[in-house]
Amino acid sequence: MAAKKLRRAQLSQEMCERLSRYQITTCQDFLCLSLLELMKVTGQSYHEVQKLLCKVSRACAPKMQTAYEMKLRKSVNPSSAFLSTTLHSLDRVLHGGVPCGSLTEITSPPGCGKTQFCIMLSVLATLPVSMGGLDGAVIYIDTESAFSAERLIEIAANRFPAYYDSDEKLLCMTRSIHLYRELTCCSVLKRIMSLEEDIILKKVKLVIIDSVASVVRKEFDTKLQGNLAERSNFLNRGASVLKYLAEEFTIPVILTNQITTALSSGPGLRADLVSPADDLSLSEGSSVSGKRDSGYVTAALGNTWSHSVNTRLILQYHDLPTRQPLRVSAAITKMLRVRSSDTNTAS
Amino acid sequence: MQREVGTLPLAPALRARLAAAGFQTAQELLDTGPCGLSKEIGISREEALEALQVVRQECHGDTARAAGGSGATRKCTALELLEEEQTQGFIITFCSALDNILGGGVQLTKITEICGAPGVGKTQLCMQLAVDVQIPECFGGVAGEAVFIDTEGSFMVDRVVDIAAACVQHCHLIAEAQPEEDHGKALETFSVENILSHIYCFRCRDYTELLAQVYLLPEFLAEHSKVRLVVIDGIAFPFRHDFEDLALRTRLLNGLAQQLIITANEHRAAVVLTNQMTTRIGQSQSTLVPALGESWGHAATVRLIFHWDNTQRLATLYKSPSQKESTIAYEITVQFHHCWLHVLMETRCHSIFCRF
Repeated sequence: MAAKKLRRAQLSQEMCERLSRYQITTCQDFLCLSLLELMKVTGQSYHEVQKLLCKVSRACAPKMQTAYEMKLRKSVNPSSAFLSTTLHSLDRVLHGGVPCGSLTEITSPPGCGKTQFCIMLSVLATLPVSMGGLDGAVIYIDTESAFSAERLIEIAANRFPAYYDSDEKLLCMTRSIHLYRELTCCSVLKRIMSLEEDIILKKVKLVIIDSVASVVRKEFDTKLQGNLAERSNFLNRGASVLKYLAEEFTIPVILTNQITTALSSGPGLRADLVSPADDLSLSEGSSVSGKRDSGYVTAALGNTWSHSVNTRLILQYHDLPTRQPLRVSAAITKMLRVRSSDTNTAS
Repeated sequence: MQREVGTLPLAPALRARLAAAGFQTAQELLDTGPCGLSKEIGISREEALEALQVVRQECHGDTARAAGGSGATRKCTALELLEEEQTQGFIITFCSALDNILGGGVQLTKITEICGAPGVGKTQLCMQLAVDVQIPECFGGVAGEAVFIDTEGSFMVDRVVDIAAACVQHCHLIAEAQPEEDHGKALETFSVENILSHIYCFRCRDYTELLAQVYLLPEFLAEHSKVRLVVIDGIAFPFRHDFEDLALRTRLLNGLAQQLIITANEHRAAVVLTNQMTTRIGQSQSTLVPALGESWGHAATVRLIFHWDNTQRLATLYKSPSQKESTIAYEITVQFHHCWLHVLMETRCHSIFCRF
C-alpha cells in the first residue's frame, strides 16, 4: 500500500509528472511531507493541497469494518480458526489449538523437542479437515538442518496408522511438505518476502520457521555497537511480513526460539527480562539452570521480538523424562501448566 | 485588511509574482480587481478571480475571528473552562483503583498513552475502553462510539465479545439494584451486537496507512459524530522498523500527535495510544523505557506505565497535569480488569485519590 504509485491514487497526469521531478512517486513519499513542503512542490494553494492530501490518503487508507462484521465472518467458518495439536490439555488452554492468523512462538532449552513438535504439526496440517487437520501444504524453513524426513514418516505412521496405511499415502504427505534450507539472515528474509506467491501456488496452510534464534544470534553479536539496532530492524521487518501473510491467508505461522541464560553481570542481556513470565527460573520445579543465582533464564531475541509475536509457548523439562509446556500468551494472559508426555517417543 | 500578501494561503508561485510586482497588503489586491490583477502580473482572468476569492475568504475569516466568533483560535476564561471540564464525562475502566488514580477515568479531549511490556494488558485495556465508552448516560457512561486503529494485529473479537457480555450483565445488575425509568429504555439498545457494531476497526499495516488514516479521521468523525474514543493500538510498531532517518520519524510522530490533539479537541473525543518498551543501555545498567524516544514523551497529556513486580501487574500514573503520581495493582480476569487494593499497595501509593 505504501509503495502505491501516485498515478493510481487518481491524481492528474500533470500533477504526477510535476511531483516526479522532485522524486515523489509513491503515496509514501507524498504523505511524509509537511503541508508547506507540499505547497511548494505542487504549486497549489493551501486548500487545494489539503484536498490532494485527502485524495492520496483515501487511496492508501485501510477499509473500515465494525467489530460485529469481524465476528460474523469468524462464526461463518469456525473450524478454520485453529490447528489442533492433539494434546488435549494444551488445546484446552489454547482454546482450540494453534491459532490461525497470528504468530505463535515455541521456545525451549535445547533438546526439549521444538523440532519434533514442529514436525508433528506439519503432519497434522496435511491431514484432512475431518481428522482435525488443515488439508493443505506446509512450508518449512529450516535454518539448523535439523529436519529429518525419516522422522517425519515415523511420526506419521505411528500416530495415524489407520490413515497412513499405505506407502502411497505417506509419499503423498511428504510431497506436500516443502522444505527450504536457509542459513543466513539475508536469505531467510528473502525467503519470507517471496512466500506470498508460494502460498497461493502450493495451497499452503502452515508456515514453520525453525529456528529464528539460531540464525539471528549467529550473525548479530549484541555486544558490538550498532548490532542491537540492526537485529531489531531485521526482526521487525520479518515479523511484519509474516503477520501480513498470517492474516491475509488466515494460516498459523510458527516460529521457534531459543532460551538464553542472561548472566546477572551483563547489562544488555538483563534488560531482556520484561515480565516474570519470561524469567523461567521463577517457575517452580524448573531445573533448567542448576545454580539459580547465576543468572536469569529467558527467551532469546529481546523484548522487541516479544512484542511482535502473538502467542508464546514455552517448553521445559519438569523432571526427566516428561516434558512440560508452560503457556504464556501475550493475548490471553494466564500462566498455566500443562503436563504432557512427549508423544514422539515410541513409548 | 492590512494583512500582508506573504501570509495568504495562495500558491507559492503566485505569491512570488505578487511580491515581485510590489503588492504588499491584501487590501491592495482587492482594490485592483481581477482584470487589473491579471494584466499586471500576467496570469489569466480566471486564476486572478480564484486568488481574489481566497483572499476575500481569508479576510472575512479574520474579521469574524477578531469579533470574537468561533474559529481556529478560541479564547475563553478559565471559569468557562472549569464549567466545561466539570460537566465533561470520563470513560470508566471498571477498575476502580485505576479510575481513581486517573481522576475519574480516561478523560475526553486529552491524549492518554499506555506504555508497557508485552503481555501486560495494554490491548486488553483498550478493548475494555472501546466497550466502556458505549455505556449509556444513565449508568454513568458517555454513550459514545469507538474507533479502533490496530497496527499490530492484536485485536481479538472473541475477547471483545466476552467484555461486552460482562458489561451488559453489569448494567443489568445495576438496573435491578437501583431501578430508574431511563434504565429500562437504555438497556433495550445496549446489547452485545449493538456494542460490536459501534466499534469501527481499521487495520493499518505500515506507517503510511497509519498516516493516511489519521488524515482521514476528521472526515470520518464528522460523519460519525457520536465517536468519543479513538484508540491507536501500537503506535510504536510501524515506526520501529524500516526507519533509517530518525529525524523524519520524529517529524512524522510530532505531526501525528498534533493532528490527534486537534481531533480530540474538535470532536470532544478521548485519544488512547499504546506504546512499547525498549531497552536503554546505560553505562552501568540498562533500564526499560517507553519506546519512540524522548520527544515523543511530550505528545501525550497523561501517561500510564504498566509493569510487573514479581507476578503482580502494576499500573503507574507517570505523567498527568492534575493527578498525583501513584501506583496500583490490577488483575485481568475473564470479565474485565479487576482491581484489588492489596494492603501492601496502599502503603506504597503516595496517595489514593478517594472519590466515589
